Amino acid sequence: MWVGLGIAEIGRTVGGLIRQGRPLPVVLSALCQLFDATAKGFSSSVLLLDRTGARVRSAAGSSLPASYIKQLEGRRVSWSETPSGATINAKKPVIVLDPVSVPLRKDQEAAPATAPGLRLHEASPIVSLTGEPLGIFAVYRRESNPDVIHCPSALIPKFTQVAGAAIERMRSDEALERSAALLERTQQLSSTCCFSWHVETDEISWSKELCRLFELDPSDVPVTLELIGARIHSEDLASFREMIERARSGVSDFEFEHRLRLPDNSVKYLRIVAHGTRNQEGQLEYIGAVQDVTHRRHTEEALARLRAELAQAARVTSLGVLTAAIAHEVSQPLAGIVTNASTCRRMLAIDPPDVEGARETTRRTIRDAERASEVIKRLRALFCKKGATSESLDLNEVTREVVALSVSELERNKVIVRTELAGELPPVQGDRVQLQQVILNLFLNASDAMSGVDDRPRQLLIRTERDEEDRVRLSVRDTGVGFEPQGVDRLFDAFYTTKSSGMGIGLSVSRSIIESHKGRLWATPNEGPGATFSFSIPCRPQDAMAGATGARSLGAIRMSAVTNAEERHGRSL
Amino acid sequence: MTVTVKRPLVAVVDDDESVRESLPDLLRELGYSARAFSSAEEFLASDCIGETRCLILDIAMPGMTGPDLQQELTVRGQEIPIIFITAQADETVHLRSLEQGTVACLLKPFSDTALFEALNTAFRVS
Repeated sequence: MWVGLGIAEIGRTVGGLIRQGRPLPVVLSALCQLFDATAKGFSSSVLLLDRTGARVRSAAGSSLPASYIKQLEGRRVSWSETPSGATINAKKPVIVLDPVSVPLRKDQEAAPATAPGLRLHEASPIVSLTGEPLGIFAVYRRESNPDVIHCPSALIPKFTQVAGAAIERMRSDEALERSAALLERTQQLSSTCCFSWHVETDEISWSKELCRLFELDPSDVPVTLELIGARIHSEDLASFREMIERARSGVSDFEFEHRLRLPDNSVKYLRIVAHGTRNQEGQLEYIGAVQDVTHRRHTEEALARLRAELAQAARVTSLGVLTAAIAHEVSQPLAGIVTNASTCRRMLAIDPPDVEGARETTRRTIRDAERASEVIKRLRALFCKKGATSESLDLNEVTREVVALSVSELERNKVIVRTELAGELPPVQGDRVQLQQVILNLFLNASDAMSGVDDRPRQLLIRTERDEEDRVRLSVRDTGVGFEPQGVDRLFDAFYTTKSSGMGIGLSVSRSIIESHKGRLWATPNEGPGATFSFSIPCRPQDAMAGATGARSLGAIRMSAVTNAEERHGRSL
Repeated sequence: MTVTVKRPLVAVVDDDESVRESLPDLLRELGYSARAFSSAEEFLASDCIGETRCLILDIAMPGMTGPDLQQELTVRGQEIPIIFITAQADETVHLRSLEQGTVACLLKPFSDTALFEALNTAFRVS
């Protein structure tokens, strides 16, 4: 009766349970039940091995006593020994299942499991397709039924095979679940989520974490572009749509930064990086990662604020240094005003009044007053506390204004100022006040470096010129004490100073200002005495735009990746 | 207005143009003859050192400063009363007051009365 039971039939029964999603012990118990029902007088069990194949993880069996099953769990399995009575080859397991047929060896760690009234008939290893040990299919003879001694041996390999398939299937399901769980956890940890977008059908698949990020209900399926659009910050919506259109047109990669406006009105900053691929039918699909960069953004903003405050502190410090120079700058025209007005009064007081002379002195009075107010205006611009702005600037003009403001202070320190400004410089894009702050700082540093120099002229050469790669350069060369080559790295550190007065933040702030203009600031020792400090900034507006404003624009597509992709594809924008 | 030879000559040495423009006019209104120079070197190179009865001298100038010129004149044996003018308050303390013919130090901007008094002192000294 049992001989007719084929592998296909066993497979169908077990397969049905697997498809129903029943847990492995249930499936294996059912398998054992099927065997026990087929082979009268015999009981079977399936022992599952752990991942190392060295120990029994759990055991399933339908008609074996629970106490016996319990005893087997966690037992060590030996793979190398071949004890008597077991028909096992080199890769087959040996397990102490029966104290009678398998004698204990000296090194065996625990007493054998015992099951009253049961004798081991056969233990067959369950091996994966790749030869990994998965478990053991064990068949026992019931002593209470001594008449039946012929085991349906032909059945055992079939059951073993089906048990193997069931275990393997379950294991791969488990592995899949584990890696999905791991992915989700990784996404949570790295604040990164992933998605895929099938462009032709607009099918979007989202990770759970991404739903959480967008504060969408995971049951809101399918996720649509409209659903996503509803969460995008209104100011970034246009660029988001533009990005979608570009992506539809078939660029290979894109990068995008935008904000979300969530139902509770809070704002999140996201960064998307996506890679486009075409499937076999040539349909475009993007696979991408979304990262929550809110925290980073906030940190960056705090840093920018701090930098602005530091720059302001540096400005106020130089204001103190410049007080005398400012007084001088304002007093000169004031002297002219007072003298001219006095002369005018006298010219009008004589008889007959010198009207022509009075008119001339009045003209000069007005001119000097305008000159004084120019000085005040320049000072106000230089020392006001306001956010960075970006405009098209002539570096020569910017430099001349600083020279005008500081030349008397420099001359007071017996510094001979010489300027060599390039004839025609292309405009740069940047913040006038910030750049003037840097230039002023370089002048004052140079002047300080020369304050103790008496054996040679204190010369300050200010030069502007075209630099390579569409950049313009300003350099300030002094004949001061210079710096030790090993000190060059520290020059730009905040609070590093060689002076007894001063906070030492000037150069560090200057460098951060120049870097925000996409430029660089550096120092080189001169051939002769002194040092030269230079900065170089790009003169093409589009290169300098992004950083100069301090707070970077949002909702902007980072075009670099897109452009590169388009170049690769030989398309024009 | 005609400048007579009898009017004593006051020389103004200042690198600031508005001072060079305005001060000589005021000096003429006050009854002096006046000439302006943009640097100490220019004054030294001129032919009117001997004629100058009073020198109105800026302290801080590129190249040779006011006190430098004063020293040079002393070396040359030219004793001209000097009225220093400066836009910087702290520079007045560096002057050894009334030494080497210093009669006054005026802080810019100064009134015509202050200038008139200083000139009177200068001419009393000389």
